[in-house]
Amino acid sequence: MSEVTVYRPGPRSWAVMLVSELKMVARDTAGLIVPLGLPMLILLVNASSAGRQPVGQGRTALDAYVLPLVFTMVVAMTGIVNMPSFLAYYRRSGILRRLGVTPASPALVLVAQAAVGILQIAVGVVAAWILAVLLFDANPPVSVGPAIGVLALTTAAMYAIGLIVAALSPTPNSAVAIGLTAFFALGASGGMFGGRDSLPDVIATIGGVLPFGAGNQALSAAWLGAPVEAGPLLGMGATIVAGVVISALFFRWE
Amino acid sequence: MSATTATAAVEADRLYKRFRAKVAVDEVSLSIAYGEVFGLLGRNGAGKTTTVELIAGLRRPDRGTVSVLGLDVRRDRARLRQVLGVQLQEATLHATLTVAELVRLYATFYRDPVPAGELIESVGLTESARTRFANLSGGQQQRLSIALALVGRPRLVILDELTTGLDPEARRQMWATIEDLRVSGVTVVLVSHAMEEVERLCDRVALLDAGRVVALDSPAGLVRRAGFAQRVTFRAALPLPAGLLEDLDEVDRVHTGNGRVTVEGHGDLLQAVSVALVRAGVVATETRSEQAGLDDAFVALTGHRLDTEEDARR
Repeated sequence: MSEVTVYRPGPRSWAVMLVSELKMVARDTAGLIVPLGLPMLILLVNASSAGRQPVGQGRTALDAYVLPLVFTMVVAMTGIVNMPSFLAYYRRSGILRRLGVTPASPALVLVAQAAVGILQIAVGVVAAWILAVLLFDANPPVSVGPAIGVLALTTAAMYAIGLIVAALSPTPNSAVAIGLTAFFALGASGGMFGGRDSLPDVIATIGGVLPFGAGNQALSAAWLGAPVEAGPLLGMGATIVAGVVISALFFRWE
Repeated sequence: MSATTATAAVEADRLYKRFRAKVAVDEVSLSIAYGEVFGLLGRNGAGKTTTVELIAGLRRPDRGTVSVLGLDVRRDRARLRQVLGVQLQEATLHATLTVAELVRLYATFYRDPVPAGELIESVGLTESARTRFANLSGGQQQRLSIALALVGRPRLVILDELTTGLDPEARRQMWATIEDLRVSGVTVVLVSHAMEEVERLCDRVALLDAGRVVALDSPAGLVRRAGFAQRVTFRAALPLPAGLLEDLDEVDRVHTGNGRVTVEGHGDLLQAVSVALVRAGVVATETRSEQAGLDDAFVALTGHRLDTEEDARR
């Protein structure tokens, strides 16, 4: 018998997997409510209460504080809660189990999931942005490039947290519970329920490095045209590295 | 052990696996030859599925080792995945993808996949190629699942409950597929509780009961172990003269109950019994003759019927 050599699924496999995930998303209309509807909902709830007083550079409190918070919440919700629960469904239904006996790697599944998820977030964020401009006279960030970069980094960091949740949860149902807990913990320490100034110093400091506070703060800075500080960016970078390492170490097919 | 020195396609040595208080697989050792079609037969909960999960490297045994095609199933996982095709009992596929989309997706995982159209046709799903997985009938889902097990041209195929839920025609089609695999030298491990299927397809069968291998032989060999080859039953109006049948060379055992006489034996049992009855002037009615089958062997070897699990399932 000849020696068995390892064939790793190539670019074609990645492409077909990605297209398959896209088709599934497009065919599951109910699943589109969260990524597309949620941003607009969060925007409507928060924007109506926001003050219109200018805070500098021709930007209002809505632009500088509310919109960054809304966008951070959206990517946190999809990354930390939505993505792990989708993976949990995959695991519970045995889809991952079936893929686990093929040469497909976990990365193939996870990356395709993440790519499609991020695409959905992007569409959702753009839709919310259009709504904000039309209804609330929102102004674009002073530093557009950095703002987009920060949002992308925040999204990646939130997905990294989601990967950690998915990898470490003992059961599919616990993934949802742990994801929600993580979402609220990160949110609370990152200013979701009011500014971080009112938090105890230690929590405020930690929250400023964790993806929610870090993303929120950096996005806010970019919106006002202020320089984005290194601390939040490094914090998010570290989160991404931790997510990749932990999910690679602990990922299970079932 | 390197692939070139492996003498058996599957070499399992004293596999042991327990789930909490229940021992699922209890010291199971199997040696399955290259090109063999090997059956694992047993009732629900006998440990069949866990055994094949250990063989496929899906679970880690508490004790014991298993190598497949000369590869350690845990350490050489990546290499094993190239040459192993598995149809799992409890695994679904992406619900909203169609038959053709799923086959094409799985095909990309392998170096030299079977062309999608050819594979879909071979399991009789050509007309359903554009149907989503969730909208397929149970039997069609089963056939797709088998197709995906074969898409990478595996050298070892594990099929868990091959024809459960299939109609008779689809079942025959699946059996033909297994025969094709045999011809092309693929080793097949077939988990089943369908006697007819195992009797027809398998070179050898392991009977599993309560996690243990209680017998391992060819189907014909297992039948021989049941202790008899044939059985004749009839109804007699009068008691039989003592020793009338017992003294015949062909007869092994005679039971009487509920007005029926059951004679187990070998050779030309029916004729021997008929002649003896006629000579003694006994009028026999409702005479039936049957060959012992694997299900009789199962009862003899495990003490319970194989098909009771089906009743429990429904």
